[in-house]
Amino acid sequence: MAQRRISGGKLFITGEMCTATDGERAVPVNDLLDRASQRSDKMHSLSTLLTQEMDSHFPPYGRMQMPRPADCHTSALQTPNDKEQALQVSESDLMSLARSLLQAWVDPLAVLSTSAITLPHPSKSSISSKIQELQEHSKSLADGLDILSGKMGPSAQAISFLPYTGGTDLGQDRVTILNKFNFLLSCLRRDSHKIDSFLKVLRCRAAKLQPELC
Amino acid sequence: TMKKVGEVVLLWLLILFIHNAAGEGYSPPGKPTNISCRSPEKETFTCWWKPGSDGGLPTTYALYYRKEGSQRVFECPDYKTAGKNSCFFSKNVTFVWVNYNITVVATNSRGRAFSDPVDIDVVYIVKPNPPEEVVVNVTEDKDWPFLQVSWKPPKMADTRSGWITLFYEVRLKLENKNKWEEVSAGQRKTLQIYSLRSGGTYEVQVRCKPDHGFWSEWSPSSRVKVPEYFPQERSMWILIVVFAAFILVIFIWMVYMNFHSVKRYLLPPVPGPKIKGIDKQFLKSGKSEDIFSSLVVSDFPPTTSNYEDFLVQYLEVYVPEERELIMDEGKDLQDDSFKTENSTCDNDSGRGSCDSHTLLTDKGGGDKEDGQQSDQEGSQAEADTKSQEEALEEELLACSHENLQSSNVSNEKEKVKSWPSLFSPLPQYSLSPVNRPNPPKTGQQHCLSDSLFTPNSMPSYFTQPGPSTRKGFRSNYWECSFDHKQSHPLHPQSAAHEHLQAQNDLNTAHVDYMGAPLDVHVLNVRPSEYVEVQRVSVEDGVLLHPVSPSQEDSRTLSHQTEDYSRVRVVNNDNGLLLLQRDAIEEEKSMCPYQEDVVSRASITPTLQNSATGINIALPILDEMAASGYIDTATMFGLPTH
Repeated sequence: MAQRRISGGKLFITGEMCTATDGERAVPVNDLLDRASQRSDKMHSLSTLLTQEMDSHFPPYGRMQMPRPADCHTSALQTPNDKEQALQVSESDLMSLARSLLQAWVDPLAVLSTSAITLPHPSKSSISSKIQELQEHSKSLADGLDILSGKMGPSAQAISFLPYTGGTDLGQDRVTILNKFNFLLSCLRRDSHKIDSFLKVLRCRAAKLQPELC
Repeated sequence: TMKKVGEVVLLWLLILFIHNAAGEGYSPPGKPTNISCRSPEKETFTCWWKPGSDGGLPTTYALYYRKEGSQRVFECPDYKTAGKNSCFFSKNVTFVWVNYNITVVATNSRGRAFSDPVDIDVVYIVKPNPPEEVVVNVTEDKDWPFLQVSWKPPKMADTRSGWITLFYEVRLKLENKNKWEEVSAGQRKTLQIYSLRSGGTYEVQVRCKPDHGFWSEWSPSSRVKVPEYFPQERSMWILIVVFAAFILVIFIWMVYMNFHSVKRYLLPPVPGPKIKGIDKQFLKSGKSEDIFSSLVVSDFPPTTSNYEDFLVQYLEVYVPEERELIMDEGKDLQDDSFKTENSTCDNDSGRGSCDSHTLLTDKGGGDKEDGQQSDQEGSQAEADTKSQEEALEEELLACSHENLQSSNVSNEKEKVKSWPSLFSPLPQYSLSPVNRPNPPKTGQQHCLSDSLFTPNSMPSYFTQPGPSTRKGFRSNYWECSFDHKQSHPLHPQSAAHEHLQAQNDLNTAHVDYMGAPLDVHVLNVRPSEYVEVQRVSVEDGVLLHPVSPSQEDSRTLSHQTEDYSRVRVVNNDNGLLLLQRDAIEEEKSMCPYQEDVVSRASITPTLQNSATGINIALPILDEMAASGYIDTATMFGLPTH
């Protein structure tokens, strides 16, 4: 059981958090976190590119109003809203949040992937390939976080269930489809940023061996 | 009506003027535009707008915002901190992962204008401040200095907790240049820069960027001067020059050591004239008459007497109590002939043209004392049969081996004047009175006759004689040897002498031997050239040595018996192949005759074309290990077993 102590905003992690064994070798946790944060960084970059690519060719007249991110299917998850809040969240909770968000997007990514093939958009092939890449990263990251959370205790392994209820069909007409697509992408962009931020906070908390990174 | 129109227009203009003058020149403000917001550390943010026209009236601007999921409108809490036309959102009002809907309203007394709403999320608009405390040091290393750049993240950015992750970039340029060189430093906070210009002044700047955000502005330039370190390069050049000079010296020394071979390779020596009796210096003098006269030798065309001398040569083996071969004359002749060319022995001419005292000094000519039995009949066939003659003679020598062996030769050496010349194919010899009856002479005759019948097969003797010819010889040999075996022992010398005499009598062939210089010797040939036969081994073997003045003394005392060598092969041009013991033994298995082989015998090559009167330099046969080839070039210091 990891022992945590909050002191001045800094969290000192002792115990099992310090080291994690992967099979025969002892892989340090900070190294695993480093890898995880790199992958989440890549995921967020991809989603940012996707939204930019969508906007570049989006007919201005057909665009709806700004999608309301509050309507994202993951909005129910309570996440910190500023730095102070974020730094007060425990590592396990941070890990749990990250894993919950990651899990919540498995289904929507599948929907996006299937919809991208027939997307009425000139860059649909590029969009489709990016979404597929996102899926791969998501799967790989989920596996890595599973291992990490196993080192951090049961509270880290708790995942909040955030079902996607949008259905597999994005709409019938072109405008509806595009708007729905945009909306989902914006939700993905934010959630991927959250995951990335949580993991990077965790990384710096565990970076005893590499203080120069933080 | 014209007047009326003018009045209406004037009235209308008046109304307008009044209207404007009444203060209606002001208009509501223009719409604010270009709302941009930035957050330096993801904890606060600032929005700026561009105001529109103010409409001539004091216009106030207000920024209102709404957060997502709420309809509550807030106004900007701070218009001042960030300057004019800005709104600063402090930490208290800044939330991340929340959409802000921001609108700027311009208001003046005439109205208000709303800007287009802008949606932002703080985490997407991060643009940090430039890095701070940029320090650039030039290292103390005088040889190859480099820059050490270090910096700190901007104050507000909290990188320690991982809330914000920054990447850095450094750029530098020479002070007087315009091109910046950018170097990425990752997340590190230090950087080393090498390959600096000696004595140059550099400007260094640093900037940073969050993992998902915008680049900061460049930090203010930090100037640094690189010290002079060029002298080091100069010392390196000095080292290179010294090394090159060293290499050059070695090269010159090598060329000097091999100067001659290099010179020979580059400038091969030009063969000079080698005409006996012609002085090279004399030629250079350029007197044509004298030159041509020198070319005409008195002896040419040879007179009958001279012809005889130089055609007929005899190999005389003298009985010790009988006449001694006089070598003096020959030597004198030889010396004379050698005069002109003794000194010149350069590299281009054949070895025959050199003064080689190993060559037979026999200058041709018959045996004076024995009488010149030979005639010039076969002179024409000389060229063809020369070598053949030699072979035959050797064969005869070999045939008479036993004779020699059996006899007790007390004479220390035998001097053979010359090879008997087997000239004509007809054995027209008559045995001269010999000391002892020589039944084997018939055998010898056989040897001779048989061998003589193969005049044209000589060329094949050079390497391997044709089976037929060889057989001819061999059979002759065997025949002879066999006969000789049974014969009573004869004095080797005498027997040899007899044998040779018979050969002489046969007059069957002429073998000419030339002294070492092959050129014009033939013209000065005297019949008194001898080949000295020296004993080679205990057993029967003849060592034929050309008599040389220098060696004669030593030879006379060294050998007591004569040995014979069997003629193995005769070179087409020159040389006789004398078999060595081993070779003989294995070949002549039939012949129980034991022979010792002359290890070496040097016999000068014969004259190729006596008609021309000029000898051709004949190649010297190399000595073959197994088969005692006559090495004409070998010196007198031959081992005599």
